[in-house]
Amino acid sequence: MNENTGILICTGCQIGDYLDIDAITTKYSGRDKVFVKHDAQLCSCNSGKMIHDFIETYNIDSLIVAACSPRYFAKEFDFGIKTERVSLRELVCYPHQKKHEDTMTLAEDYINMSLAKLAYIKNPEGFVPENISETICVAGGGISGIQAAIEGAHAGYQILLVEKEKELGGWLKNLHKLSPMKPPFTKLTDNILPQKLQELSQFANIECLTESEIIKTSGQPGCFTLKIKQNEQIIEKKAGSIILASGFKPYEAQNLTELGYGIFQNVISSIELESMVKEGKILKPSDGQQPESILFIQCAGSRKQNHLPYCSNFCCNNTLKQSRYIRESLAETSVFIIYNDIRASGRMESFYKEIQNDDLVFLTKGEINKIEEIDKKLNISVKDTLFGEDIVIEADMVVLATGMQPNNDHVLHLNYRLGEELPVLKYNFTDSHFICFPYETRRTGIFSTGTVRAPMDITESMADAGGAMMKAIQCIELVKRGETLHPRLGDKSSPEINFLRCTDCKRCTEECPFGMYDENEKGTPIINHTRCRRCAICMGACPERVISFENFNIQSVSEMIKSVSMPDEFEEKPRILAFVCENDAYPAFDMAASKKLKYSAFVRIIPVRCLGSVNKIWISDALSKGFDGILLFGCKPGENYQCHFIHGSELTEKRAENIGEVLQKMMLEPERIKTVFLEINEYDKIPQIIDHYLEEINLLGMNPFKGM
Amino acid sequence: MLNQKKILIVGGGISGITAALELAETGHCVTLIEKKTYLGGNVAKFSYYFPKLCPPHCGLELNFQRIRNNHNIRILTSTVLDTYKKTDKSFEVKLNSKHEFINNNCTSCGKCAEVCPVERSDDFNYGLTKTKAAFLPYPLVFPYKYSIDDSVCKQENCGLCLDVCPYNAISFENKSTLLTEEFDSIILSTGWQAYDAGKIENLNYAFHPDIVTNVEFERLLSPEGPTNGQIVKLSDKKVPESIVFVQCAGSRDINHLPYCSAVCCSATLKHAIIASEKIKNVKITILYIDLRVSGRNEDLLQKAKEINHISFIKGKAGKVNIDLQNNLDIEYEDILKGKKCKIPADMVILATGIVPSTVSGFKTDNELFIDEELLPQGIFATGSVKKPIDVSASVKDAGRMALKSIQSMANE
Amino acid sequence: MKKVNPDIDFIRKVKKESGSDLKNCMQCGNCTVVCSLAGENHVFPRKQMIMAGWGMKNELISDPYIWQCHQCGDCSKYCPRDVKPLDVMSSLRSQCIEYFAVPGILVKWMKKPSLTFLTLIIPALIILVVLWANKSFDKMQLPVNYSAFLPHILLNSIFTGFTLISFFLLFLSVKNYTKHFKKEFRVQKNEISSYKLFIETLIDFLKHKNFSNCTTNQYRKTAHLMIFYGFTTLILLTIYAIYAVKIGDYPLNYYHPIKIIGNLGGLSILCGIVILLVKRLNKKDINSSFFDYSFLVSVFLLVITGYVTEILRFSNHISGYHWYFIHLVLMWYVVIFLPYTKFAHFIYRLNAIFLIRKYKIND
Repeated sequence: MNENTGILICTGCQIGDYLDIDAITTKYSGRDKVFVKHDAQLCSCNSGKMIHDFIETYNIDSLIVAACSPRYFAKEFDFGIKTERVSLRELVCYPHQKKHEDTMTLAEDYINMSLAKLAYIKNPEGFVPENISETICVAGGGISGIQAAIEGAHAGYQILLVEKEKELGGWLKNLHKLSPMKPPFTKLTDNILPQKLQELSQFANIECLTESEIIKTSGQPGCFTLKIKQNEQIIEKKAGSIILASGFKPYEAQNLTELGYGIFQNVISSIELESMVKEGKILKPSDGQQPESILFIQCAGSRKQNHLPYCSNFCCNNTLKQSRYIRESLAETSVFIIYNDIRASGRMESFYKEIQNDDLVFLTKGEINKIEEIDKKLNISVKDTLFGEDIVIEADMVVLATGMQPNNDHVLHLNYRLGEELPVLKYNFTDSHFICFPYETRRTGIFSTGTVRAPMDITESMADAGGAMMKAIQCIELVKRGETLHPRLGDKSSPEINFLRCTDCKRCTEECPFGMYDENEKGTPIINHTRCRRCAICMGACPERVISFENFNIQSVSEMIKSVSMPDEFEEKPRILAFVCENDAYPAFDMAASKKLKYSAFVRIIPVRCLGSVNKIWISDALSKGFDGILLFGCKPGENYQCHFIHGSELTEKRAENIGEVLQKMMLEPERIKTVFLEINEYDKIPQIIDHYLEEINLLGMNPFKGM
Repeated sequence: MLNQKKILIVGGGISGITAALELAETGHCVTLIEKKTYLGGNVAKFSYYFPKLCPPHCGLELNFQRIRNNHNIRILTSTVLDTYKKTDKSFEVKLNSKHEFINNNCTSCGKCAEVCPVERSDDFNYGLTKTKAAFLPYPLVFPYKYSIDDSVCKQENCGLCLDVCPYNAISFENKSTLLTEEFDSIILSTGWQAYDAGKIENLNYAFHPDIVTNVEFERLLSPEGPTNGQIVKLSDKKVPESIVFVQCAGSRDINHLPYCSAVCCSATLKHAIIASEKIKNVKITILYIDLRVSGRNEDLLQKAKEINHISFIKGKAGKVNIDLQNNLDIEYEDILKGKKCKIPADMVILATGIVPSTVSGFKTDNELFIDEELLPQGIFATGSVKKPIDVSASVKDAGRMALKSIQSMANE
Repeated sequence: MKKVNPDIDFIRKVKKESGSDLKNCMQCGNCTVVCSLAGENHVFPRKQMIMAGWGMKNELISDPYIWQCHQCGDCSKYCPRDVKPLDVMSSLRSQCIEYFAVPGILVKWMKKPSLTFLTLIIPALIILVVLWANKSFDKMQLPVNYSAFLPHILLNSIFTGFTLISFFLLFLSVKNYTKHFKKEFRVQKNEISSYKLFIETLIDFLKHKNFSNCTTNQYRKTAHLMIFYGFTTLILLTIYAIYAVKIGDYPLNYYHPIKIIGNLGGLSILCGIVILLVKRLNKKDINSSFFDYSFLVSVFLLVITGYVTEILRFSNHISGYHWYFIHLVLMWYVVIFLPYTKFAHFIYRLNAIFLIRKYKIND
């Protein structure tokens, strides 16, 4: 229980003009163990001292700061004690009428909600696991893995590099040379593998296990345990975070019979050409003679629905590079390139110009009509060319520039309930769905990099490896401080389960987007604290309400709901409860406020970590209390989901059935509950959404439970 | 035990912010300087990212919250790098910090803007709108406070804002302070600006309001933009019936930018899809040389190809003409059909390219990007100041350079 | 369905002659847009650029569109890859002349600085033989009397004779060209009579109509007009001179109206050539080969030597005969060797434009 609660009210930003501050001060000062103070500008430089004194004087251990939105000045109002923010400026004043009775009621309701909440929360201390490993395991010894290892080791961290082949290098071993990597981007780069292996060997803090495969990964960030099979031995290693760098596998050219692969001996893939060049002999497979002309077909099996629908990002530059190989070693051999678009983007435009500028290199846009063999020569007929007519080119060899697919099978063998490997986005890549957060992962502490994450070339793979290693390092440092990872950075709260009431229904285990929960034989969930992202989706899912967080739990929100004043049923003033997701929707409300967009003062907003954290009980509590309607504002679900916790808002839709049951039991209309997906820049729609909803509620009538 | 480093990051766009946060959350001490009065750089002006068509402010909000909640980051706006000197183990840096007329006491109440008598061209909207000299750059701005454009402010000759500000947040002092500090490493993330389309002859950019650049069109899509988020012609505010996108306007051209700007094709696809969703039956033509979208962005291309009224024509737009009735038409060669064509257009969008915003004192390569190899040890560059890349790649690179910045001293 | 077989030597030759990195063409089509000659249904010079890059000699050698080009330079100015379509077209034209010329070896000599002297030796030797046979060296006396030195009847018969042979060979070349053209291009005959089309073409020619459409290098139109009309006057003068000899009214006095017109014509040519030469030497927007220079320089010298010869006659200097000889050699080079120098362009161009009108080409 609280001892003394302090309420600080800011009258700046016109809050004093909108509200009768004296009335509020008087009202709350009268309460037992509550101390109220108001100030003209709580955020000014001098306030820090004033607030310190206030806390000291009255022995405050719970503080309410009724001022601006909690999105601002979180650091400045952190005095080490429990603090609740009441957004008088953004949620009470700006969207509503000055000195209006309803605005006053709104302000008092929010203060009451905070008082209620404070009784049921405490400041989290942060869970720090014992025996944290500061090793980062890199699964895969191709260029991404090697580069990640070097970057991490160079920053002073212990690295465990696991590679299934006998030698490190991955596909880099097969390459003769690389595309240009530095200005002026016209010269091929020598294969960097020897140099990279050299760099790798210079670090004492890299442990390299070759001919090794991970057969099981268990644990949590800071404390992963990896069972590694090396030849016949099983080794156990510990790691703080993991980077998946298992690379790609080339698209099977066998699928491209329409381009003659497998039919004509002299139709080969770009990988096969690279091997030939590396061995120093470019010869026709059919008769071992030197080819007089070689034709490249771009986008072979890429950008097509029946093959790989995406672009692999490297084949255009790769073909240009291979053209250079051919031209350098066979002076009289012509090179033809049939393309859709030459994707030598950015600075590689210079490389494109360089390769083009050769008498015996010929490029045209075109679609391959068919390939035939006539008199031991391949005749490739091309349509939709730049010549305005179809052409037939005679070539000795055809090279198919095939794409890449991610190598995501049987690598990590995660001992997670939700699956053995990292979840994938479209096309099986382990990419993050977020543009701004490319390393965002659905398995906390396990990141991916390189071509397993997204199609990319070597230059990008190396850059990617650095970025992923930064996140892996950061993960360890955050775990050491008891903090969670993206997006609730800085959050130290932890989930707790009251096992006495747990019925092993496994809903939390299944619905956690991050696989935080393991389960024992009975099906009872096991908490892996550092995997937790503190979204509280599990809390929302639990029908028995056994899950809680120190500063966000079932009771704290229930008490908030119950503390709202309910007008008499005859007053004809509805009460709407709005659960607003803190990520996109809540800032949208703040921005609407900054533009002084007006909406109804009958709405009571409770910010939640994710719409998925909304528990059914809150709905029944709200309806029992007399709320006429409930709005749920969250981030967009679907293919282009914006939900920061992957499927929180999607779950709300799925749970709508359960919620419907609640309403049915109470004999209330299902239309009283509405889910709205709001993007952060749609703040201008808020007034119309709320007004429209209120009209609907008006038609439905007041909640009959009001006043009971 | 973490070996805490002190890092200076020059430039507060998405790259700088990302690098700063990755470092600060790992536990290092970061000072982020930005020459404007606010952070956000170019992405704050975007309305949508490709290929998800999601709002950039979503990610920015998250990042700004992370900055607000982090004790390891110090932000200095209106500050530029003056000089640096390599000392034994670190860099002695001089930062030139210009005094801002509005200080941190500002609560964004907006009273100063209400009374301000001076108008200025709004650079946030590329000069297509005006704001008062006292203005809020954008609703989600960080730091959340108003700014005064000191180049147009009448200062003591007016002083109306001084009278109405209840928080003592305004003072007119024209001074700069030189701060001397020490850092273990420096990251340059000064970003880019759009190429001046006025330099491209034959496209007549400066001569008709309905010929806009892609970055200007991006602003048209924003509710804070010149047309409140409506896609209308700037000339007569009517909804356009036909839009033509001109790719490689100034890029891949030795007379302008010789390199490819890498992002314009994806940006155009994004614009085309959004325009076709917002305006029923608008006829959209995209004139390109090569459609350079790669990886995931290919989905965007597929999506656009499925929309009936978007047509893709291989053929660079050679001329944008303005006739005597002030109507626009575009001349191009439809290369696959072998026809020289001229089509009318209500609106022309020039996909202009990226020019890196380099910092003086750091060597650039043959195409004016910062050459990483020529940077002194301990100084790094990230983002589009190094090469033309999109947001996702910038963020990726920022993470990597952040890691490099804490490595450089680890071995010593 | 066209079977592709790149002629690598052709590509190399075009590259060398034009000084262009023509392989760098990225087929953007900008040149077609800025070219005032490119029409709705025929694209120029974008298509020619890729055909040149792919060594499609057969198609390009008889492409009439390359003759429509009057080297205004708009394409090169706005080309984003700096592949100089202007100079590539120039090279294609000179290769066309070379390909169809009878005998082709003369063109090869014309193009190579080291072999051009051969083309000057032939006429020099022929004229020297004639002079020797006529015992002209004994007649080099004052007052300067060119007709005594080399009787005009003799001179005119020889020159006219060789000119007729040469023009006949040129006619054969152009006929061959037209035959080649009909084979390579799908043609559709125009209903309007050939005669009418030809007159139309001629008139446009005389007005230099298309030249005005180019925005870059406007000076070229002026300079070219000056040379063109200068030449026309001199041709008329020569024809009159032949007639005048016949009726005995030759040589003409310097105040004779035809003489004055002729002199003005010569001056016009000189001005035009100086403008073109200076611009070419600047090399900023146009690349010049020996083939280009030799044509301009030879015409320039022809006119200069003409004036010098004339002046030395009026001033009665014995060296007039020597200059007269040089003038005759140059006259041969410019007129009789017309089918083998850049001068041939005016016939090929006239023919090409006529063909374009007569046979509506469907690309």
